[in-house]
Order: sequence, then C-alpha cells, then structure tokens
Amino acid sequence: MIFRALRGYLFTIVGIAIGVAGVVALGAMAERIVRFIEGGDRFVMGQISVAGRGMGMGAGFTAGGLLPLAAVEAIRKVEGVTGVQPQVMLPLNPSTSQFMTLTQELVLGMDLSVPSPNRHYRTLPVQAGRWLRDGDRKKAVIGASFAAARGLAPGARLTLEDQPYEVVGVLERMLTAPDRFVVVPIQDAREQWVAKDRLLRTVLASGGMALRADDLNTGAAVGWRDGEDPDAVARRIRDSVPGVNVQIPSELSTLLRQSTAFFSALIVGIGALGLVIGGLSLANTVAAAVFERIRDFGVKRALGATDWHLTREILGEALAVTLSGGVLGVILAVLLGLSVDGWARRSGQQLFLFSPRLLGGAFVFAVLLGAAAAGYAALRIARLSPAEAIRRGGA
Amino acid sequence: MPETVLVARGLAKRFAAPDGTPIEVLAGVDLDVRRGDLVAVEGPSGSGKSTLLNVLGLLEEPDRGELWFGEHKVTALGRSARSRERGRWLGFVFQSFLLLPALTALENVLLAARYTGGVTAERRRRALMLLERFGVAARRDHHPAQLSGGEQQRVAFCRAVLNDPPLLLADEPTGNLDDVNGAVILEALREQVRAGGAVVVVSHRPEAAHGAGAVYTLASGHLRPIRRPE
Repeated sequence: MIFRALRGYLFTIVGIAIGVAGVVALGAMAERIVRFIEGGDRFVMGQISVAGRGMGMGAGFTAGGLLPLAAVEAIRKVEGVTGVQPQVMLPLNPSTSQFMTLTQELVLGMDLSVPSPNRHYRTLPVQAGRWLRDGDRKKAVIGASFAAARGLAPGARLTLEDQPYEVVGVLERMLTAPDRFVVVPIQDAREQWVAKDRLLRTVLASGGMALRADDLNTGAAVGWRDGEDPDAVARRIRDSVPGVNVQIPSELSTLLRQSTAFFSALIVGIGALGLVIGGLSLANTVAAAVFERIRDFGVKRALGATDWHLTREILGEALAVTLSGGVLGVILAVLLGLSVDGWARRSGQQLFLFSPRLLGGAFVFAVLLGAAAAGYAALRIARLSPAEAIRRGGA
Repeated sequence: MPETVLVARGLAKRFAAPDGTPIEVLAGVDLDVRRGDLVAVEGPSGSGKSTLLNVLGLLEEPDRGELWFGEHKVTALGRSARSRERGRWLGFVFQSFLLLPALTALENVLLAARYTGGVTAERRRRALMLLERFGVAARRDHHPAQLSGGEQQRVAFCRAVLNDPPLLLADEPTGNLDDVNGAVILEALREQVRAGGAVVVVSHRPEAAHGAGAVYTLASGHLRPIRRPE
C-alpha cells in the first residue's frame, strides 16, 4: 500500500533525493575540512611545541633550527614543565613541489624513551599492527593515507633514504596531518636528516661544531603540569631558555585558524549553498507535489474532509515522500562520495566525511523542511473553498 | 430524518469580472427542498447554475443569505463544521466526474466513507453492491484513466450515494456522457428520489427535468419557477 502510494510520487521523491544528495555531499566535504582543522587544533592545544631558533623551514611545521640536547635539558628544568620529548620532523620528499603544503608527507622521529607529553595524543591510534617501542630500529608506523597510497600494511618493507624499514603498524585514519606521517624512532630520523641535508653533513664533517647525535633534534613536544596555564609555561620557556622558538598553544591555535580561515569561509559557503539549493529544491518539490493535487483535495473537501483530515493526509504523505527522498538522497551522496574517494585514495586523499551528525542533520533538515513546505501548502489549500480548489485544479 | 432537507433564503453571490466589474450571479435565491423532491434547474450556460449548486452544497460561500440543512443553519458554521455537515447531508455528482486518478474505482467510491465515519466492512459491501448495480463491478480495480466516461460517471454516482445522503446535488451530470449513459444516470437520480432522497439537478438538457416535481430556470440571478412543486 505504501509502495503503491509512493509510486505516484516517484518524480517528487527523485527531486527530493537530488536536493538531499546535494546537501549531504557538500556537507560531507565541509565535514572533511572541519575534521582536518579540528584535528590540527586538538594536536597543537595538547602540547607546547618548541623548535631551535633558525630558518629550517623545510623540516616540517614545527621546525626551526637545531634544538640541541642542552636546550632540551634546559626546557626540562623550567617551572611547570612535566615532560619533554625530542623530535625530528623532516619532509619525506624535500622537493619544492611538496614543500609546505597541506598534503606534505612527513617523517616524524620520536624519542621513544620519553612518554608523549601531548595531552590529547598520548599515543597515536593504531588501526593495524602495533605502535613503536623503545629500542626499535628501522621500524616504521605509517599514516592511513600514506599506507593506502602505497598499498602498505604491517609487515611490508619501506625504503627511506636507501635504508630498508619494516612497517610495524598503520595508524587509524585521523583525517588530519598524521594520515601522511611516517613515524620512526628518533635515531633513524636523525640518520635520515643527515642523509638528506648536505649542509649538515658538511658541518659535521668539518668538526666546526661540537655536535653529538642527541643534539640533532628539530624540535620537542613539551608537556605541562596539571593546573598550569600552558601559555604561561610556554612564555616561561621562551624567557628562560635561549635560542629556541616557542609556540604559545593558544597563539598557535589562533594562527592555525587564521591560516585555515579561507577553508572555514569555504565551509560556511558550501554549507549555506547546500542548504539553500537543497532546501529550496526540497521545499519547492514538496509544495509543488501538494499543489499539483489541489483538485483532489477540493474533491475530498466536497466529500466531507475537514482541515484536520487534509492536513493529516498532506503531512503524512509529505513525511513519507520526504523520508523516501531523504534515504535515496543519502544513498546517492554516499555512493558518489565513496566512488570519488576511491579514486582520490590512490593519491592518499579523502574528500568526503559522512559523519553521523551530518547524516542525522540532513534527515532532520529534510523532514522539517518537507513538513514546513507541506504545512504551508496545506494551509493555502485549506483556505480555498472546495469549488475554488476544484476550479484551480483544472477540472 | 426531517421532511425538509434544504432551505435557502436570499442567497447572493457575485464575482468580479477581469476588469473589476462586479457580476451578480445569484441575486437572492430562495429554495425549499423536501424528501422525495426532484428539483431541476435549467438555464443557459453561464447563467450561474453551477454557482448555485456550489453555494447550496457549501462548496462556495454565499455573499449573503442563509442556508439550512434540515434544522441546522449551516451558513453560520466554521469551515470544518461545514465540511462535516456536507459529508453528512450531501452527495455530489459532477459533470467532469472528479474521480481521483491515483485511486481505483472501488477506492474512489469508498472515499466518501473515509471522512464520514471511516471505511467499515458494511460500507465496503455497500460500495461493491453499488458498483454491481451500476454495471462497473468488473472495473473495481481499474483507475479512472482506464474507464470510459460513462463508467467514470457511474463510479462517481456510486460514490455520491454510498453514504445514502438525504440530498444529492447533480451538476450537469450527463454533460459529458452519450445518450445511453446519460439515461442511466438520470434514471439513477429518479431512483434516488423514489427511495426517499432528494435531488437537485442543474442541467441545460431538457430530459434532466423529466419526472422533476419542480423545475426552475435561473436567469439574472433569480430562480423563476417553470413548474412549481406540488
């Protein structure tokens, strides 16, 4: 019975489905960007990032110059600091084509003898295999996009700076920077750094600087004691440890948000466009479907239907039609998104994120708008005399 | 059921022409209809016969005048109450049948029950009996587009009488029918009267007035009797 009733609304349902699919697809792209920005924000707000003062921009987004062991030790002694984890962050491919881009693939060397001080990422979530252990060498844990783009899984071999590495783990897809990370023990990252950087090799070979392996750090993640204001601790480090660049967490968060302001505006634009286009399409389709049957409603009134009868029928049908169109629209959008992402995944990208809040929101949006459009149409029809409704219906 | 089915006093209705000039279609119509009456209203096209029937059937509000169904003054009622009274007192036969295209013949007939107490097994039996009586039982599962004009009007007539209403209002019921089907519908209207119902039929075809107890012509917004009721 329901299917038979809905059959008469096939074009209406398809019209609604296209509107909803548009909203969901655009919303999924916006969700993807939001997750990226939120993920980065969560990371930088979980730690104080410190780098050696300098111009080593090619060494990743926390990099400055060299952060020697003495500076690391000095940071440890600053009031309010609880943990300092030396790190080496390098671009996997230092060619200019990937330099400082959002899709840059990075090698992150972590000192595994020190627990991660990042409050939001004590460990990065591993989807397959295992996380790195202290004492590991030539082992790597790789990000989900990095793994997908190269078809790598735990147990696979990876060559970095002519050295063979064993992939021991693949991270969960986080939809942010770590998706493109190769995480290795810091000792291995230091070797890669030296291999990549001719200037550093020259300096080391000349003996002009008294550098030990422990001095080769591009930065450090710093934790703070409970109850401490991280910004205050960061300023304390900046004031008391010479030769370091300290990122103030709140400033870095603001900077990150400013640098992604374009994307934020894009999200708002995409979302608004999706809601307006999809919403208008949906409301127009539902209202048109009701008005198309104005003569039928005139006949029903002639047979004794009251306002309540008609409103109930119109809203009931609109709900069934909107839900059917909504389900079909979500399926269309998800199929579209999956097929596009299937293609994009080959280059390690994901363009759509169909989150539960997006799908739930799209349903609620569709149903409310469909009901509002049907309610408006019902009100207009109820105000007409049955004779006028029959006349307008073209009898 | 009271003897008097419908009383109309001073019904007036005017429309505006495209240039805004008022056109007085009904200018104070009085009419009494009792059980067993067959009232025919004649008049040329455009004389306001359909408007009269619409006003009598509460399908259109009069600008002036009063209307009673039995003892109930229905012109004083609100929209939904008027709908309920319409469902209780009236059955309509329209010139263009006005069947709902998405429903089958049987569903169209049962539509009359949906808003007046619901579709019960008894009403379903009666709907099937009526379809059988008017020779369209074999078409019960067909949609209007699959029926001929004559079959559609028979189905529409079944819908009009399903609730056994005290008064049938028929607007040019044979206007779109051939002579054979027209005769079937007119005979059905007379049968309704013989069974104790009342019928007001407007038509420009003279045969619609055969057997009518009262015949009026509508001209200049007034009903003028050609044959007075006894």
